Amino acid sequence: MGGLQKKKFERGSATNYITRNRARKKLQLSLPDFRRLCILKGIYPHEPKHKKKVNKGSTAPRTFYLLKDIRFLLHEPIVGKFREYKIFVRKLKKAYGKTEWSAVERLRENKPTYKLDHIIKERYPTFIDALRDIDDALCMCFLFSTFARTGKCHVQTIQLCKRLTVEWMNYVITSRSLRKVFLSIKGIYYQAEVMGQLITWVVPYQFSHDHPVDVDYRVMATFTELYTTLLGFVNFRLYNSLNLVYPPKLDSNAESEPKEESEDDYAMNSESYLEKLSALSASLARVVSSAEEEEAQLDHFPTEGIRSAQMEAREKELKQQEAQKKLFEGLKFYLNREVPRESLAFIIRCFGGQVSWDKSVCIGSTYEMTDETITHHIIDRPSVDKQYINRYYIQPQWVYDCVNAKVLLPVEDYFLGVTLPPHLSPFVEEKEGDYVPPEKLKIMALQRGEKTGNEQEEEEEEEEEEEEEEEQEEEEEDDNGDEEDDEEEVAEEKNLKKMEEQRSQGKVIFKVTPGKLKVENKARLEQEEKAEEKRLAIMMMKKKEKYLYDKIMFGKKRKVREANKLAAKRKAHDDAEKAKKKKARK
Amino acid sequence: MTPHFRRISESNSTGSQKRACVFSNMAAARRLKRVAVSQPGFLTLNPKVGPTDLVSSRRKRVNKNKKKNWNKYSDVQDVEEFLEDVRHQERTTGKGKSSRPLRIDLILQHDSRVAPPKDVLAYQKPNAKKLRRAAERAEKLAAKGVVPRSKKRLLNRPVVDRTSKKTETEANNNPERDFYDIWGQETKDLGEPWYLQQTRKKLVKRPEKLNEKPSVLPAVEVIAPGGSYNPDFFSHQELLREAHEVEVKKKKVEDKIERQLAYNKEDTATEETILREQVEGLVEESEEEEEKEDAPKEDGEEVAVGAIAVADKKTERQRKREKAEKMKEQQRLAERRQTEQQQQLFQLRSIKTSIKQQEEKTQVRQKRRKAKEEAQKAQPRRLGKLKFQPQDMEVQLSDELAGSLRQLKPEGSVLMDRFKSLQKRNLIEPRERAKFKRRLKVKYVEKRAFKEIS
Repeated sequence: MGGLQKKKFERGSATNYITRNRARKKLQLSLPDFRRLCILKGIYPHEPKHKKKVNKGSTAPRTFYLLKDIRFLLHEPIVGKFREYKIFVRKLKKAYGKTEWSAVERLRENKPTYKLDHIIKERYPTFIDALRDIDDALCMCFLFSTFARTGKCHVQTIQLCKRLTVEWMNYVITSRSLRKVFLSIKGIYYQAEVMGQLITWVVPYQFSHDHPVDVDYRVMATFTELYTTLLGFVNFRLYNSLNLVYPPKLDSNAESEPKEESEDDYAMNSESYLEKLSALSASLARVVSSAEEEEAQLDHFPTEGIRSAQMEAREKELKQQEAQKKLFEGLKFYLNREVPRESLAFIIRCFGGQVSWDKSVCIGSTYEMTDETITHHIIDRPSVDKQYINRYYIQPQWVYDCVNAKVLLPVEDYFLGVTLPPHLSPFVEEKEGDYVPPEKLKIMALQRGEKTGNEQEEEEEEEEEEEEEEEQEEEEEDDNGDEEDDEEEVAEEKNLKKMEEQRSQGKVIFKVTPGKLKVENKARLEQEEKAEEKRLAIMMMKKKEKYLYDKIMFGKKRKVREANKLAAKRKAHDDAEKAKKKKARK
Repeated sequence: MTPHFRRISESNSTGSQKRACVFSNMAAARRLKRVAVSQPGFLTLNPKVGPTDLVSSRRKRVNKNKKKNWNKYSDVQDVEEFLEDVRHQERTTGKGKSSRPLRIDLILQHDSRVAPPKDVLAYQKPNAKKLRRAAERAEKLAAKGVVPRSKKRLLNRPVVDRTSKKTETEANNNPERDFYDIWGQETKDLGEPWYLQQTRKKLVKRPEKLNEKPSVLPAVEVIAPGGSYNPDFFSHQELLREAHEVEVKKKKVEDKIERQLAYNKEDTATEETILREQVEGLVEESEEEEEKEDAPKEDGEEVAVGAIAVADKKTERQRKREKAEKMKEQQRLAERRQTEQQQQLFQLRSIKTSIKQQEEKTQVRQKRRKAKEEAQKAQPRRLGKLKFQPQDMEVQLSDELAGSLRQLKPEGSVLMDRFKSLQKRNLIEPRERAKFKRRLKVKYVEKRAFKEIS
C-alpha cells in the first residue's frame, strides 16, 4: 500500500494562516509594536473559514493572520526602526538610572524616528485611492484636534491634527465643495464632494469631552499617525490642484484682512498665523493670482435619445449645484458670541458669505457688530436688547437648513424666540412610497420654486384664526395636489354621481346641453395606451411571475399605506399641538 | 604559608592536578611551621596561647578547598615579619644596589671617538628665497583682493547640509513638517531591478489583495435622522423604538441568566434539615450492614461471567458450508444488481426528473448561501477571544431634547464611535483592557505618624 501516511495540518488552510503570537515571534516584535506595524501597513486579522483546521485541532479562540501577509511584513524597513527604538529606550533608561545627563542628552538627540511616506505611497498607489480613504483620516484628525493637551496623546500630534484640519477646511472653502451638514446629538456631520468623491466626516462639538475609558488610546494614536501623513499629502495635492500656495498663506491683497493691531492679545507670534488661518475668515493666497475663475462648463455632445435625457438631468443637477455654491453670496453675517463660531464660519464661507464676530471671541474678525451692511445676525438667545432694524436676527439652525435645502429658506420660522422647525437629516434619501415628513415636502416645494399654499395658509392662520376649518379642508386638497392629472376624471365622476343621486331621488331631468368639443389630449392618449399595454402584459404573465408581481405590488401598497398612516398621525399630532397653543393663547 | 601557595592558587592550572599540588604544598608548609614552633625561643602572637598548644595533636580540621578558609587558617605572620624587616632596613640604610645603569642602556651608548659632523641643513631653509617671493606676491594679491586658487576651491566647496540629517530624524508628528507631491513624482530608476532588490533599495511589491477592504461598511455611518439635535417627531420616535428594542433584548438575556440561576426557595437549608444531615448514618446502621453483606456475593458471580469464553473450533464441514453460503449470497446480490440496472433503462424518465429536481435544489441552496455570504460581509467577524459588542445607541429622550443649539447637551462620544467603527469594519480585533493582577498581597501597615493620631 503506497506512500507515506499524510500528516495532519501540514497542508491546506492550516499552512495558510498564522496565529498572532507566532507572527509576532517571527517578526521579533513586542505585541504593541506588532499591532502598530499591522495598522500602519494595513494588514488586518482574518477569520478563517474552518477554525478548527487552522488551529490544528484546537477550538481555542485566536487571532489569525494570513501567512503571506506576515511574510510581506518581514520586508518592511520600519520593523528595524521599531527594534532600534526599543534599544534606544533601554539605553535611555540606563542613562537615567545612572544619572548620566550628558548621555541622556546625546541619546535624545539621536532618537530613532521613522517616516511613513513610503507606506502611504504603497497603500495608496494613486491620488484617488487616497481620496477614497480620506473619510477616516478626517474624522480622526478632527477628533484629535479637539483633544485637550492632557497626557492622553502627544501635544505635537494634536498640533499637527489642528494644522491639517484647518488646511482641509480652507480647501473646502476655496473650492466650495461642501454639500451637506447635519447637526446630530453626537457631533456635526459634514459631506463634501471633492474630485467627484463624496467625503463624509464627523466633528465633535467643541466642549463635549468626557474621555471614554474603554478605548485603546494607543491604537487610536497609531491610526492618527498614519492618517495625519495621509491627510498632509492629500492636502498638498488638493492645494496644488487649485493653484493655492502650500502651506497655506493668507491672501495679502484681500479686502477682508484681519486687523493687525489686535494680534498680540490672542496668541504668540509663532501661533498667531495658524490661529488666523483657523479663524477661516480670510481667503488664501494663490500661486497665480487669477482675477476671474473660469466656470467649468459641461461639454455638449450632439447625442440623441435616452442619453440626451440623462445629460439633461445631469446638466440640471450641475446648475443646481452651481446655484448652491453661491447660496450666501452677497450676504453679510455676524455671529453672536454664544453660537458655535467655527462651524458656522466654515459653512458661511463655504457658500460665499461674509462672516465676522466679536473681536473678543476670536482672532480674525473683519467687521464690527455696528456695521450697517450686515444682513443676518446669528444669535441663539431668547431676546436681545438693542436691535438693528435693517438686519434679520435669526437662530443658527437657519444656516444649516439653508445649506441642506440648497435654497434660502424663509427667515420667519427662525426668528428670535420662535420654536424652530425640526432639523432634518440630509443623509436620508426617501424612496418612492416612503413617509416624507411635511417639513421636507415644504422644502422640496420651495426647491421647485413654488410658494406653497400650505405656507400662505399658515401665514394667514396667524392673522385670522377663526377660519380654521375651511383651511383644513383646503389643506387636504393641497395634499391631494399631486394627483392633478386625475382631476378631470374626478370631475366627471362627480357629475355622474350627481346625476345618479338625482335619479335615485326620482326626479329625472332630461336636458339638452350644448355639445362640447372633446379635445383629444395626445399625451393623455399615450398614457392611456401605455396603461393598457401594462394591463395586458400583466394578464399575459405566467402564474409564477404573476405571483411574484402581486407580491411586489402588495409590498409597495403596504408601504404607501404605512406612509399614509404616519402622515395622518402627524396631522393629528399637529392639530392637537395647534389646539393646545390656541388654548394657551386664550 | 606562603606566597608560594597563594601564587599557585591564583594561577590557572585546573582540575585535580592543581588541587593535589596545592595540598602537597600546604602540607610542606605546615611541616615547616611545626619545625619552627618546636624551636626554642619561638614567640607566638597570642601571649595566652603557648607554643605547645599550636602543635597539639588535636589539630583543627578545616576544609582547604575554600578561599575563605585559606585566609582564615593560614598563618602569614612570618612572611609579614620578614617583609617588615626588609622595609625597615630600606628605610634606615637606603636601597642596596640601585645606582648601576642597565645593560641595555650601556649597549646603546655612543662609543666612537670621532665627533659627528654638524648638520648644516638643520639651520638652513630650503627654497627660502622662493618662498619669500611667493609670500610677497600673495600679500600683494591679497591687497588687491585676489583669492588664491586653493582657497577659492575651499570656498567653492559644496555646502554639506548639516540640517539634512536633522530633517531625516525629525519626528513623524512634528507639527511643522512639510509635505510634497507624493503621487506626482516618478521614482527614478537607479539601476537594474535585481540589484535594487538585493540591496533593499526597492521595496517588495504589495500584494493586490491587501488593498481590499475587510468590510463593505462605509467609514462614517451617519446617525439616523432621529439623532438630530432637533428631530422630526416621527423619526425621533423611530429611533427611540429601536433603542427600546435593544434594551429589551439586553433585558431578556439578563432575565434568562437570572432564571437559570434561580433555585427553589423550599430547598434552602433549615435547622431541621441541617440536623438530619448531621445525624445521617448514625441512626440507621443495621440496614446498611445488611446491604454490605449482600454486596460481595454479587461480585463473585460477576467474576464467573467475566472469564474468557473459549470458542469451540470450527470443523472442516462447517467451513465449507460457510464458504458456499457466502458465494451464494454474493451471486444473488450480483444478479439483483444486474436486474436493477436493466430495470433502470425503463425508468429513464423518472431518473431524469429526479436529477432535475436535485439540480434545482442545489441551485436554490447556492443562491441562499450566496445571499448569506453577502449578508455576512457587512457583519463584524470573530477575530479573537471576544465578540464585537456594538456601542450603546445615542438617544435623547423627548424631555432631554434641547430647544436650541446653545442648550444642546451632546450625547455619546465621537472617539468611542470611531473606535467601534474600526472594530466593526474588522480593522482591529475587539479587546479588553488588560487587568492588573497583583501577584503578592498588599499588607496594610499603619504608619507611625498615622498611628499617633488615631
